[in-house]
This record gives sequence, structure tokens and C-alpha cells, in this order.
Amino acid sequence: MELTDLKKIVEALLMASPIPLTETRFKMCMKDEAELTLGLEEIIESLQADYDDSGRAFTIKKVAGGYQLVTRADFEIYVKGLFTKTGKLRLSQAALETLAIVSYRQPVTRNEIEAIRGVNSDSSIRTLLDRKLLEIRGRDDGPGRALLYRTSTEFLQYFGLDSVKDLPKLKEVEDLLSEDQQELV
Amino acid sequence: MNRPLRVDLDMFEGPLDLLLFLIKRDELNIYDIPISKITRDFLAFVELAKELQLHSAGDFVLMAATLMKIKARMLLPIEAEHDEEIEDPRTELMNMLLEYKRYKEAAHALEGMERQERPHYYRLPPPWVPGEEETTAILEDVKLYDIMLTFQYLIKNYEDPASHMVDIEEVSMSEQAGYLMTLLQTQDKIQFSSLIHQFESRLVLVVTFLALLDMLRSRQVRIKQSQLFDDLLISRGKEFGTH
Repeated sequence: MELTDLKKIVEALLMASPIPLTETRFKMCMKDEAELTLGLEEIIESLQADYDDSGRAFTIKKVAGGYQLVTRADFEIYVKGLFTKTGKLRLSQAALETLAIVSYRQPVTRNEIEAIRGVNSDSSIRTLLDRKLLEIRGRDDGPGRALLYRTSTEFLQYFGLDSVKDLPKLKEVEDLLSEDQQELV
Repeated sequence: MNRPLRVDLDMFEGPLDLLLFLIKRDELNIYDIPISKITRDFLAFVELAKELQLHSAGDFVLMAATLMKIKARMLLPIEAEHDEEIEDPRTELMNMLLEYKRYKEAAHALEGMERQERPHYYRLPPPWVPGEEETTAILEDVKLYDIMLTFQYLIKNYEDPASHMVDIEEVSMSEQAGYLMTLLQTQDKIQFSSLIHQFESRLVLVVTFLALLDMLRSRQVRIKQSQLFDDLLISRGKEFGTH
């Protein structure tokens, strides 16, 4: 199949899909493998170039292992009018700290989170579960069989990440040391 | 020199956060914390917190006790036996602070990413269209948390007809599991909502739900749901009838 046709198919799939379009899902939709003359990544690249040239209001974002259409930042002031009631809520400092701990140490129990934060984190965990940024991943084998938490696909989407490996590296103690000394100077 | 504690209580996430603030404000060395000074400042804060009945005051009081313990241990004369290495009583606290600081910085990085992503909007999942159960789109991965939420939602409007009667009800999980098994032998799918009104009390309902979760765990049943808070569809699982 020609690139022009493949691009149209991918565009239709991106348009209809509320979740990131993965290579696997794309192949499932294509049915006939013989028509797949190009990989999804190549098709996406070409499609994105078209969008850039023609100045569209949306762009293709690589997120959570797939591709998704998102509106461009320039249109935020208009688009947010669609969501006046709920809006886009920002996460509290407590929720961000809890998420940071889970994202680097997953799967973790509530106890581990609280040991690091030094405060009860029940309500942060509940908020994050409700917002689907965290999910329950089984139980710990230790005594009490505590619930284990991990980050979700929605977490990757929310922070615009392709995978948790794309998170910035946690600062090592040595880095902190040199930084502290600089601050003191 | 006693600097007044002009701090906003809501600023702090907890005792570690407050300690980091005090260290930064007074340019203290985190690897050599002047324990007397920090204990004094910290206690002044806790007094303030107690007056205002801060809900997490307990965490602060606990930290205050830890600080005083460290302070006391540092005042005691050290009796080193032979070449035994003496651990600084502040080490554990220092490690906790460093660990917390790392994640606080990671949280800060996440906040920046959140800010960057905020102006972008994604397509939303389509709203649920009511229809025949066969045509209902099925979510592929129903999470345990979703099932619990749904259960809570479904029984919210359930009126307990037996609430005024004092009776000991005899109901067991295995009994209710057996009941579900019998139903599944003749039906391919059961809607959880249809079960709700068959039971004489909330207790029986809850026990049935627990039995259902247990059957889900041992893969005797599968549960599908088209959207959060939507009805739960129960069907036979891989291990159905093997127990």
C-alpha cells in the first residue's frame, strides 16, 4: 500500500482512538499484513510533517508506548472553555510527592511511602487512585500482605511520558552534597 | 539570636519538610546538623501547630520526640570500647532527610512536567451508550479498585428491608459461592445488579460480593464492565468448576 493511503488510515485511527495507538493495535486494525509496507513510526513521522506544513491545531504525541492526537498549546485558552466545570485540576504537593515515590520505587506499599514522607499518605493515595494515576498491583508477600501500588497508563499520559524509563534520574546523594556545598558558599 | 517563626503552617507537608525548611533557611549543614538549635526551632513550631490543632500534629510531635532523643544521646559521654566505631546519633535522621529531599525534588520535576502538559488536550473516552449487553463495549482490564467502587455505588441505593428486625442471619461465603456457581451452570452471563434485589439484606449482599471476589481470585469467574460504575457482568472463568 502507498504511503498516502497508509497515512489516511493512521489518521482515521488516531482520530477515533481515545487511548494511545500502539504498533500492535495498528497491526490488528490493518488485518492484511501484506499491505503493511511501512512501520507505524515512519507513517506517523510523515503525517506529523504534513500537519506541521499545513499548520494544524493539533499534533501527534508519543505517549505511553503509542501515539495520540493532542491540541496545540496555543489553543489552550479556547479549548479549556469546554471544561469549565471540572477544568484541569492540578495535583497537590502531597500528591506529587506520593507519585514521585511510587514512580521511582514501584511497586510500593503505603508503609514505604509513609516512611519516606514521614506523614500519613492515605488521602493522597486515594486521590491518585480516583484520578487513575495510580493503580493497585497485587499484594506484598510480607506480613500483613499490604497492597502494592504502581503508576498507570494515565500517569504516563498526564505527564507526557512514553514510559517510566523517561523520568528524569533521581538525584544521587553525591549530587546533593555538591549542591548543598554550593548553596553554603 | 532568636528569629521569630514566621511560617505558614500549610506550607509544610510534614515534619521532614519542616526540618528541610529550617536547614535551608538558616543555611545549616545537613551532614552536621546543630541538633540543639534545630530542636528548639522545631519545638516552637510544634507548639504553634498544637494550638491550631493541625491534623497532622501527631507526626510533628513524634519527630520532636526523636529530636530530643538524639539531643540527649549526644550529651551523654561516649564510651568507646576498643576500636568499635561510634555511630553519630544523627545519622539515621540525616539519611531520612536526604532520602526525602530526593523525592521532594523528583516531585518538583513532576510538577514542571505537569505544567508543560497542561495546555495539551487529549480526546476523551466516548460516553457510555446504554444498550443490549451483547453490544456493550467491554473494558479489557477491570481493576479490583474499579470493582470495589462499583460495588459501593451499586449498593448505595439498596434499602435494607430487614433493618428493623433483630435476627441472626446464617450466611456463609461458601454458601453464596455455591449459589453463584449454580446460576452460572445455566446462565452464560449474570448481571450483578440483578442479584442485588434478590437478597434479603445488605449483609447477604456483602457476603455474596466477597464470595464473588474470592471466585475471581481463583479464576472461577470473570468480571467485565463497560465503564466505571457500570454494571458488573459475571461469566465463567478458566478454572470454573475445578474446585
